[in-house]
Amino acid sequence: MFRPFLTTCLAAALALSPALPVLAAPFKLKGEPKVAMVIFGQKNDGGWSQAADEARVKMEAGLGMKIPAVDGVKENATAIRPVVELFIKRGHNIIIGTAFGYSDTFKELSEKYPDVAFFNLSGTTNGPNLESVYGRTYESQYLCGMAAGAASKTGKLGFVAANPFGVVNWTISAYELGARKTNPNATLNVVYTGAWNDPVKERAAAQALAEQGVDVLGQHVDTPATQIIAQERGILGTGHHRDMREFAPKATICSSVWTWDKFFVPEIKKVIAGTWEPAPYGAFITIADGGTDIACCGTAVPKAAAEAIMAERAAIIAGKHVFAGPLEDREGKLRVPAGQTLSDADLWKMDWYVKGVTTQK
Amino acid sequence: MPEALPVPLLSAAPEPPRRGRLTVEIRQHATGWHQGLVLAGGLALGMALATAILLACGVGLSDLIQEFVVSVVSSPASLSAVLIQAAPLAIVGLAAAVAFRVRFWNIGIEGQMILGAVAATAVAIHDVGPAPLRLVLMMLVAALAGMAWVLAPALLKIRLGLNEVISTLLLNYVAFNGLLHLLYGAWRDPASSFPNSEQYEAAERLGELGWENLTWALPLAGLLTVLCWWLLNVSRFGFLSRVAEANPRLGEGQGLPMTRVMLAAALLSGGLAGIAGFSICAGVEYRMTQSFFSGYGFSGILIAFLARNNPLGAFVTAILVGVLFVAGQSLQVFYGIPGAMVQLIQAVIVISVAASDFFVRHRVRWVSGRRSDV
Repeated sequence: MFRPFLTTCLAAALALSPALPVLAAPFKLKGEPKVAMVIFGQKNDGGWSQAADEARVKMEAGLGMKIPAVDGVKENATAIRPVVELFIKRGHNIIIGTAFGYSDTFKELSEKYPDVAFFNLSGTTNGPNLESVYGRTYESQYLCGMAAGAASKTGKLGFVAANPFGVVNWTISAYELGARKTNPNATLNVVYTGAWNDPVKERAAAQALAEQGVDVLGQHVDTPATQIIAQERGILGTGHHRDMREFAPKATICSSVWTWDKFFVPEIKKVIAGTWEPAPYGAFITIADGGTDIACCGTAVPKAAAEAIMAERAAIIAGKHVFAGPLEDREGKLRVPAGQTLSDADLWKMDWYVKGVTTQK
Repeated sequence: MPEALPVPLLSAAPEPPRRGRLTVEIRQHATGWHQGLVLAGGLALGMALATAILLACGVGLSDLIQEFVVSVVSSPASLSAVLIQAAPLAIVGLAAAVAFRVRFWNIGIEGQMILGAVAATAVAIHDVGPAPLRLVLMMLVAALAGMAWVLAPALLKIRLGLNEVISTLLLNYVAFNGLLHLLYGAWRDPASSFPNSEQYEAAERLGELGWENLTWALPLAGLLTVLCWWLLNVSRFGFLSRVAEANPRLGEGQGLPMTRVMLAAALLSGGLAGIAGFSICAGVEYRMTQSFFSGYGFSGILIAFLARNNPLGAFVTAILVGVLFVAGQSLQVFYGIPGAMVQLIQAVIVISVAASDFFVRHRVRWVSGRRSDV
């Protein structure tokens, strides 16, 4: 997952040892390609799992093949292993997993079945036939933050988040950076629910934020509850995972949406063609390559702001980094010096927030 | 002096009803084969309903037989998946059965599993003790931690009469939030910065048996089953626990140590749950994850109920639950049956078996009506 680091390592390795390039040999698929997907939650959860399943349907069209899926596979080795082995026994040789908690089991299975190609969304393990994939979600959340800042009248924004660690912390800071871009005084109040899928707690958190006078609610959890509350309370919201206009058409002004098929159709074609080389530290993909993109913007976002958001999106595709220096955390400590950007390694272990963010202790 | 009314010594037999009807009577004693027959009937009914649902979903009958019977039993991968699944299920089933035997309703099995895993992981992370003894030590502290977590509810029940259903259930949430606190804080995996503990070293993992992925977790579950069977069915403690199950007040009146029996069974239950947590972390996940315990608490209750708190029955039931689980997965893989539908089918089967208990405890009879020509 740490590409620049990896490039340095690989360059060093190549220079030092002529034997090492063997490691980087492309993966060769044996037999007819058959893809299968193992989904963490229920296919129709309205969020993360449904986004994966919708990408699966698009991949079926893009690759011209049936892609069966099993949903509701919990993050336990005892649940994951039999499903994957059943697929392999039926001749499936490209397996896509969809949960961080599959990482160890996928690593173990990829070693047991070296002729099968494994992918894992939000995984942490990699290997000669295993690639973890995640999107640079801070890009789309930054753009939605811009929409939130532009649409807010009070400048007080709220955010319902799952758990405090790298992938969630970076969306929060990016959201606030985006909001300040369109509204320099915007502040962001964050509530962590401690769970990815707990609509009851998400509802309570969203309502508490609304009570505090927040007028736009962002989120990084797995269900649409936050946007539904925003609509009920007559305020605005920005979604994650999928286009939340489905659940809250009036309130939703921007959604950060997964575009997995955009990544997987060409990637699987590479596997089939025999040119696939899994990134040794995982694929950490941008808007351009099919991580998350935005569905934007609702009518509450002024036209000029909407244009600014699209211009910023184009700049990101052209190479702009959201976490570019100089960047201080909320305690005033310099985290990214001027002229530099936050490294991928630092992103994954991000445990700080930019100014303007308030969180639980 | 008023004329005494004739009082019959025995009340006359109730008049037969005008029309025939079903009556339900409590059955005092059911023979073993009767119980078995009723259970088999419940299972058959559940399977029949499940088959009907699946046929309606478009799965062929011969395919069903192939998936459920042939492939689960004949394929080593499926069989090992069933057994791997069954080992921790059997241990939580025992944990529930031991507590339920003395009417201590331990709903806190998941919390005790978490405490067990936390203790075992602490030993693993800090490399406590010499490597060859590490696993034994991990199991021991896991059992003690599970016991500690159930001690407070047990004492509260004994001293203050506090309902243990509430206290053990609520302590699950305390344990879970404690787990999150550790995994998002001090014990976050330094290798990936992701919220699970670092991987256990080789000496901290239950060894493989050399067949498929089976580990020593299965023999451990078997050993615990036999121990619990001896304890509940052979030993003096077993006799006392039967008194506690039937009528603790009567036992108390006879001078039997009912309170101590209840406390011991509750602690044993917590200890077993702690060991279950250890067996999953050290035998399957090789680290402590956020969700290793998820669902086991209710599975344990279910298994103990279906097995009527019999340890040997719990082991067998755990294997059957494993079959149900693995067969359910193959239905999803091969026929695209949605996960929710599979859960529905599993629930139908389990409810049929559980409901058959009614016919063990009750006798249902047809009482014919009064004949009109009399």
